Amino acid sequence: MVAQEIIRRLSGIVGKDNVRASEEDRRVYSYDGTSTWMHMPDLVVFPTETAHVEAVLKVANEAKIPVTPRGGGTNVSGGSVPIRGGIALVMTKMNRILGIDPGNLSATVQAGVVLMDLQKALAAKNLFFPPDPQSFLGATMGGIISENAGGPVCLKYGVTKQYILGIKAVLPTGRTIQFGGITLKNVVGYDLVSLLTGSEGTLAVITEAVLRLMPMPPARKTIIALFDDLPRSGETVSAILDAGTVPAKIELLDNWVVRNINRITGMGLPEEAAAMLMFECDGAEEMVAHDSEKVIGVCRAMGATGVIIAKDAQQAQAYWKARSAGFAAVFSAAPTVLAEDVTVPRTRMAEFIRRVTDICKRADLEVTVIGHAGDGNLHPSVMTDQRDPAHFERAKRAIDEIIEAAIEFGGVLSGEHGIGLEKQKFMRRTQDPTFIEIMKQIKRIFDPNGILNPGKIWED
Amino acid sequence: MTESLRNTRKFASDVEQCMKCGFCSYFCPVYREEKDEKGLARGKNQLIRFLLKGEQALTAGFYQAIDNCLLCKTCVQYCPAKTRIDHAIVAARGDFAAEKGLPFSKSIVFRHILPRRGLFGLALRIASWFQFLLPRGEGRFRHLPQFLTALGAGRAVPEVAPRFLRQMLPERNAPRGRPLYRVGFFSGCATEYMFPEVGRMIVDVLTALDCEVVFDRRQGCCGAPVFLSGDLETGKKMAMRNIAAFDGCDYIVTGCATCSSGLSEYPVYLADTGEEKGRLETFSAKVRDFNEFVIDVLQADAGRFELRPEFRGKTVTWHDPCHLLRHQQVAAQPRKILNALDGLRFVEMPDADRCCGLGGSFSITHYDVSKRIADHKVAGFVVSGADAVVTACPGCMIQLRDALSRHGKAAEVLHIGELFRIRDDGSPRGDETRA
Repeated sequence: MVAQEIIRRLSGIVGKDNVRASEEDRRVYSYDGTSTWMHMPDLVVFPTETAHVEAVLKVANEAKIPVTPRGGGTNVSGGSVPIRGGIALVMTKMNRILGIDPGNLSATVQAGVVLMDLQKALAAKNLFFPPDPQSFLGATMGGIISENAGGPVCLKYGVTKQYILGIKAVLPTGRTIQFGGITLKNVVGYDLVSLLTGSEGTLAVITEAVLRLMPMPPARKTIIALFDDLPRSGETVSAILDAGTVPAKIELLDNWVVRNINRITGMGLPEEAAAMLMFECDGAEEMVAHDSEKVIGVCRAMGATGVIIAKDAQQAQAYWKARSAGFAAVFSAAPTVLAEDVTVPRTRMAEFIRRVTDICKRADLEVTVIGHAGDGNLHPSVMTDQRDPAHFERAKRAIDEIIEAAIEFGGVLSGEHGIGLEKQKFMRRTQDPTFIEIMKQIKRIFDPNGILNPGKIWED
Repeated sequence: MTESLRNTRKFASDVEQCMKCGFCSYFCPVYREEKDEKGLARGKNQLIRFLLKGEQALTAGFYQAIDNCLLCKTCVQYCPAKTRIDHAIVAARGDFAAEKGLPFSKSIVFRHILPRRGLFGLALRIASWFQFLLPRGEGRFRHLPQFLTALGAGRAVPEVAPRFLRQMLPERNAPRGRPLYRVGFFSGCATEYMFPEVGRMIVDVLTALDCEVVFDRRQGCCGAPVFLSGDLETGKKMAMRNIAAFDGCDYIVTGCATCSSGLSEYPVYLADTGEEKGRLETFSAKVRDFNEFVIDVLQADAGRFELRPEFRGKTVTWHDPCHLLRHQQVAAQPRKILNALDGLRFVEMPDADRCCGLGGSFSITHYDVSKRIADHKVAGFVVSGADAVVTACPGCMIQLRDALSRHGKAAEVLHIGELFRIRDDGSPRGDETRA
């Protein structure tokens, strides 16, 4: 519980209406996009300017109250769950786009700006922010930076860390500091912009950021290739890259996902194939024509049983909308779904998929593979039911084996979701202890009292 | 927990559907203004989940959360998991009302005034005599009587009509030719008392298209404002009264999007037994919005739609009422009518499908947020460059008029039924002639 005196002081900073302590208010800030992680904060505080964040953190640091920053709460790692209680610092009201600068291909935003709102404003100036986490409808820029989010186009464009030029953040001690700037090149000392990007809200509270933008590509084409063998589709991905073509997106959907997308959307994607690859080529008209031809050629040579080309932008949009329904399809298919975020080198993808299928077959579990095949980031998802302890135990064991396999193939524990609470228990087993120790020391420099998003990334 | 949660339990599986992705946050008009999860579908869904688990009580804070919803269904439209949070919210309001009682201002109007058409009319009439005592709003609007403003903050609403629809329209309206259908006309409160001319013009279109139109005097309020707020018991009484009034009709047609959606939702919320559900479903299956009825059921020849001369040369845009678009999937039909009207220019406005922010009593209890949501609508209207905004919901009309007048816009807000009449096609007339 937080003392009345603290509530009074915080109310004095952000206003009475921006400090909430009722059970209902605390309840709705107790979760994120994961299915199981939940913990109520003692207080919910909404800052509306950087000075508020400074003052709130000063109070919290003095009283050693945990503070967990939160944006749209769409993350799927447990990262924004206030697992130690304290203050949920909700950044959603700091949602102004402070400026768009086409001459510098940059924009300055407050942390609470929702990615989709930003994209809409940028599109009006023929610009875009490339990282495309599929939570773009709710995810805020502060959260996207803190999680170093990525999505399908990372194959060609990279992830968030390649698009952050500068950050304004408040340290847990209440001091505001500006990292980086607006220039593309900047080698002045340690790259603390990159350190904050992906720090999962454990080092500082990001209040503003300078983003790097790209001009909107003038042409796009969507291609679908069907395969009667799932690992074969994985081999095709590296064959395409090897042929010298980098499409913007290559997404993999297995037959199970395709059937379930059809079930919930009525989209009518072809159901006969074992796997489907969805490509998007973008760029100048000539480039798109050249790349699509190459993609189609390689798919055919690799034994694709069918190739579909979206006839216009509208149809392409419908295909991608169906793709984004993929996760809904997965999550609505079983009472509990354990979805992984492992990423493997692209050349080992086919082998990895085979291993996943074997692990689940042996354990008699239903599994589906959906993912950003272009960058080796797969989301093998195991269907289970938490209420059935024996089954759930089996599923958890299978997930352990899947993660071990990914690491054995030279991959990583998490490609884009982050560690948060969800992947914490794998850290010690999979990472060098010195790496974890360095992180802890860095954390101490930024946050001597350990108040900011405590209990995340590594296990205490 | 002692609460039975009889209503909410009916929708327990809907509540379980939510996978907490938070996509609703982009679409919820209330969340977009407030930026607070407690106003968001996902947050409400979570609170209702805990209510059903017995870990959340029917507290004032809980009511505040579930009351803070327009029931616009935009979240439902875009929910990847197809969660029917709207159903759960109404049901939870129902359980709250049954076990804790509704706030006083709502319950007095819902229980005693809205269900009695005569009393409602009388109250409005008496109040209208004293309208001159109240400050004048912009242009031809005045503040409605204390009796309505007692519910909350005052707003510019249309004045009460000098004659109500039931004083203008006979009970039986003969078709022009051989009768195709026997149609019950459901006027709705706003059309009856504020826009009776619209009601009369809609009936003229229907009779000209060979419908026998019955305007049964026993009909009352559709009940939507009452049962959607949680007073399911009074809502059911109102439903039963309306069902009796329209016995023997092939269709029940209304020009009010809220009424047609409300009448169609009777079986969702108001049935306690299987037998009742069947009865409510039979009635609801006959309910049609005016646009949908003219285009889909009558399949009227668009060449016969004739623009009323006073609108010649005007540019209009269309506002999709939530209760039409998302409750009834009616969007193409009114556009078909607007495009068919010679002499009228129809342009789309940006975000035509965005909620106007009225949400029935929401606009009274949450006037500030309601106004901010309406401001976006005004911005879209300005971009469209239209002279008038056309819609098919008197509720939206009240909200849009209020919003436009607050912004000093002289634009008209029209009901689609006011825009056109039916050209005579020269076919033989029926043997009865119009009164």
